[in-house]
Amino acid sequence: MSETSPQEARRIATEARDRVRFEEDALALADQVYRVARHLVGSREEAEDLMQETYARAFRSWRSFTPGTNLRAWLLRILTNLNIDRGRRVQRSPDVQSLEAGDYFLADKLEQTGGPIGEEERVDQRLSQDDIVAALAAVPHDFRDVVVLVDIGDFSYQDAAQILDVPVGTVMSRLHRGRRILKKQLAEEAVGTT
Amino acid sequence: MIDDCERCELLLQPYLDRELDESERAEAEAHLDLCSYCRRRYVFEEKLRMYVRQSVVEPMPPELKERLAALRIAL
Repeated sequence: MSETSPQEARRIATEARDRVRFEEDALALADQVYRVARHLVGSREEAEDLMQETYARAFRSWRSFTPGTNLRAWLLRILTNLNIDRGRRVQRSPDVQSLEAGDYFLADKLEQTGGPIGEEERVDQRLSQDDIVAALAAVPHDFRDVVVLVDIGDFSYQDAAQILDVPVGTVMSRLHRGRRILKKQLAEEAVGTT
Repeated sequence: MIDDCERCELLLQPYLDRELDESERAEAEAHLDLCSYCRRRYVFEEKLRMYVRQSVVEPMPPELKERLAALRIAL
C-alpha cells in the first residue's frame, strides 16, 4: 500500500476545498438560473428536469470552470446546450408577418383598441404577466433564447453569444427579430388580433 | 412627419440599447422632443422592456434546490 505524500495530501485537500466552494457558488445561483430556464422551456416540469441535468453535469465537470469568470453564464451555457440536445425543440420559422410588423406594432394595436397610450399609463394595465409568459413561450426557440438571456437574464450581447456559441452579430439580429415576434405575440395575447 | 416617424421607429430599439452613435442619438432625441406619437411609443417600449424583465414565473420550488444539492458528488 503506498502512502500519500504530504504534497499529494495538500493537493487533495486544496482540490476538495475548491470543489466545495464551486458547488456552493453554483447552488447560490440556482434561483437565477431557474428563472432563465423556466422562460426557455415550456413547462415547470421541463425546467426542473433541465436544472437537474445541468447541475449534475456542472458538478461532474467543475474542473473545466475557470475561477473568476462568469459562473452564471457557464451554467447557462451547459443548460442551453442540454436544452438543444434534448431534441425537444421543435424549430418553427417565424411567420413573415411577425418580421414585417414594425417596432411600433404592439403600441399601435393597443392604441387602436384601448385609446392613447398616455405617458403615465402603466404597461401592466394593458398587458398581464400571463400575457408576457404565454407570448414568450410562443416565440421560436432560437429567437426566444436570445430574448430571454438578454432581456430577462440581463446578459450582455457578448455573454449571450458565448453561452449560445454564436457570433455577436447573430445575437443582435435574433434579438431584433425576437423582440418583434414577441410584440406580435403579445398583440395576439392581449388584443386577440393580428 | 411620416418619414421622420418611420426613421424614429428604426432608431428606437438601438436607442434603448444605447447602441446609436452620437449623431443618430441626437437625431432620435430631436424627433422625440417634437413628436408626441413617437414619444408615447418610446415610453411604452421602455416600460415594456422593464415589464418583460420583471415577468415572473413561479419561484424555484424549494424541493428542487434540495434535489440539486443532493447531486453533489460525495468527497
